[in-house]
Amino acid sequence: MMKWILLSAVLSCIFSTTLAQQDTLQGNGSITVFTATKTERALSNIAVPVQIISQKTIQQAGSLRLSDILSEQTGLFMTNGFGTGVSMQGLNPDYTLILIDGEPLIGRTSGVLDLKRITVGNIKQIEIVRGPSSSLYGSEAMAGVINIITDKSRKNTLGISTRYGTYNTADFSVKGSIRTNRINYQGFGNFYRTDGFSIRPNSRERSVAPIERFTQQHNLGFRLSDRTNISLNIRHNSETIKNNITVINNGNSINSIGVEKNEDLNATLQLAHKFNERVKNTTRLYGTQFNSSQELISDNGVPYLDAFKQQFARIENQTDVQVNNKLEFNIGGGYIHETANSTRYDNSTSIKTNRIGYIYGQSEWRALKKLTLIGGARYDNNELFAAAFSPKLALQYKINKKISLKASIGRGFKAPDFRQLYLNFTNTAAGSYSVFGSVEAQKIINELNRIGQINSLEPSFYQLSNLQPEFSTGINLGANYQNEQWHISANIFRNNIENLIDSRLVAYKTGGAQIFSYLNVKNAFTQGIETDIKYRYNSQWSFSAGYQFLLTGDQSEINAIKDGKVFTRDQNGFSRKMNQSEYVGLPNRSKHMANLKLQYDHQNFFINTRALYRSRWATTDTDGNGIFNTNDAFAKGYIQLNMAVGQSFNNGLSVQAGVDNILNYTDVLNLPNLPGRTYYLSISYNFLNKNPK
Amino acid sequence: MSKMKKMIFVLGIVVSLVACSKDDNSGTNAVVETITVKDLPADTIIGIAPGAPPTGGFPYGAGRYTFFSLETNKIVPASDSASNKWDLAFKGTTIATNSGNSGPGGAGAFVYVGLFNDLKTIPADSSFRVDNAPSAFAITTGSNRGWYVYNGLNQLVTPIPGRVLVVRTASGKYAKVEILNYYKGGTTPAANASDAIKLNTQRYYTFRYSFQPNGTKTF
Repeated sequence: MMKWILLSAVLSCIFSTTLAQQDTLQGNGSITVFTATKTERALSNIAVPVQIISQKTIQQAGSLRLSDILSEQTGLFMTNGFGTGVSMQGLNPDYTLILIDGEPLIGRTSGVLDLKRITVGNIKQIEIVRGPSSSLYGSEAMAGVINIITDKSRKNTLGISTRYGTYNTADFSVKGSIRTNRINYQGFGNFYRTDGFSIRPNSRERSVAPIERFTQQHNLGFRLSDRTNISLNIRHNSETIKNNITVINNGNSINSIGVEKNEDLNATLQLAHKFNERVKNTTRLYGTQFNSSQELISDNGVPYLDAFKQQFARIENQTDVQVNNKLEFNIGGGYIHETANSTRYDNSTSIKTNRIGYIYGQSEWRALKKLTLIGGARYDNNELFAAAFSPKLALQYKINKKISLKASIGRGFKAPDFRQLYLNFTNTAAGSYSVFGSVEAQKIINELNRIGQINSLEPSFYQLSNLQPEFSTGINLGANYQNEQWHISANIFRNNIENLIDSRLVAYKTGGAQIFSYLNVKNAFTQGIETDIKYRYNSQWSFSAGYQFLLTGDQSEINAIKDGKVFTRDQNGFSRKMNQSEYVGLPNRSKHMANLKLQYDHQNFFINTRALYRSRWATTDTDGNGIFNTNDAFAKGYIQLNMAVGQSFNNGLSVQAGVDNILNYTDVLNLPNLPGRTYYLSISYNFLNKNPK
Repeated sequence: MSKMKKMIFVLGIVVSLVACSKDDNSGTNAVVETITVKDLPADTIIGIAPGAPPTGGFPYGAGRYTFFSLETNKIVPASDSASNKWDLAFKGTTIATNSGNSGPGGAGAFVYVGLFNDLKTIPADSSFRVDNAPSAFAITTGSNRGWYVYNGLNQLVTPIPGRVLVVRTASGKYAKVEILNYYKGGTTPAANASDAIKLNTQRYYTFRYSFQPNGTKTF
């Protein structure tokens, strides 16, 4: 590998001395964004914090799965537990809505949508909207929205790409499109496999298990007339994960083989009609299904099976009206039918249902040449929970061509999920604890009590009631500066989260086994600043840096500390009062996160180095006070360094090589998904559209 | 010069401590001493009962309490369990008192929230609970209910800071106890320590206590 780096260094020296044609800084004016306003808009006219990740950026980072590229963005970090989730503005993965072409992905485990399920091979751009966006998107859009826009080529193409790397990680994609006057078709297929790896010494169990994934996506568009378009989009993803688990039981080791299968199916039918130049109507019919099963077969035990199935269907209609050059509004509404059944509910054949009707509206008013105001609101009427009203206000003020200011305030919510309502799970192995969803809990515990199987009811039992949605209020204040060479943006945010749902001990059974359920018990806040700087030194060299400062906490915990009710231990192990300065806030959050990227481009050659930094984060409450403070266990801060180099040729061939985690940083306990140093080589070939870029 | 300063400083502390104790213990003569007990075994693990996968089964001990006298600072043999000779008995995370259906003594206890040193006088309105095993011990059992919290992720037991066991002994005198650690050597294993280490070092109590021999509720 050293040879590669050396070679590329030599190459970059050669290229930097030659004259290159002038490549201007890619302006914002040419990029359009859909997610922020649910309509196509120029990025430069968006009043809320939006970030775009281009196809080129994704490719040049050598990313394969969605989590790979998101982990390199300012203020985002990947969580590991129930898959790889994304934390935005310091909120848990549960609170970021993930969309593909504007439609939500389902199939969350314990609130986490595994981003490794999504290949980046056919992504045109990723749009990241920060701040509550429930005014347009409803539930889950509390921290923000990540929308994956897939490629819809405007010409005939056919290309393949293949990649091979450490741990026998292989990825193969084929992508093609056909376009006639009336019909366009885009097809994509991807196969991914890896042996997985273990960074835990002497363990049969792998921290990342062997995985095989197949993804295909087909998009068929038909132009009925100049004004009417119809399109059908189908995506299917399946994955099989195998893992060997060894349990040492009284000196005897028991081997188990675990097989997990997940399957996603999404289909969208869209009809768009332009009544005239000012009025457009879009109807979208969307259906998706997620199937998951986990089977465990052991040497000496009964097989163990866990199955989960979720379905989601939605019809939505949106009308966009441009009243005049200054005023535009969008109104829409829809209906959602959602079902789930699981072996972890009261019985696997009983299907749980939720129905949601919603309406939303938004208007954009360019009040002055420099000032744009956006107001919007959405009302969700939920069959199972209280209704949610989510307003949002945003404004953008362009001081001059270079400087603009943005301010927005919005409300977000997340409806309780099926698990929080219907879970009926008893772990007979580990201490025989049970977790019941809030709907089940009172019913089951009252019944157990009647037959004398309850020893005691905890105070939380009496607080059990219908779960309410979790709410957040978010404020974002930002500033942008842009000229030919520099692009600087900064955003200050504050999110207040109310009604957070958490599991609580509600009762003890006569044998001492614990029963847990879900309650709206907590509040939390996150606040901080996100900054991004891009600098283009000349046509070849460019540099970018991002930094997020983050503070999190729970006001009631801070008050308890102020009142002297929170204790920790001194070096002798004796209890003492905790100081407010020792308070850390929410666990798993780093106060400082940063990224740096240095890129060199010349004609069809590029080389880049990307550094990612996370400061330490609290992992475990080791002093037993139930609050995270400086006396607790922390994961060490770390730097991950990645590098990639690539060359495209005029015959349609591109070659790229890369090293990820050059510093070989690993943390067995806290970063089980981060392998040591890995290498890859990828080759792609375009059959039709030969000119690169 | 600096030695001198140190001496004065140390003397100053001693004087002020003594003075302080005298002020606080107005009416009593002796300063109650604080004793630290280390590695008191409490039904240590002797085996693991098989359990269904994916977990490894249930660790178990011999099922025997360790009886302890706060008055004499000694372990009391199990043969004296039906006597007034012991005050507290330890088995796993359960701490029994020589009261109710646990023993013939007149003991009692409750869990006080606050600092060991701040508890100078047991409040007059305190109510001492007695044992009603196995459902209700004077010292509440269970994670986050009495003196400890259990972390299901790393299977570690941690004494909650700011919890004082206020004890009426078998003979009706008073003591205060702070549990400091649950593992051998007074150090909780790391979260990623092996199961073997966690199992072999648990159920060894380290605690400190003050016993007031004169029968008053003041320490």
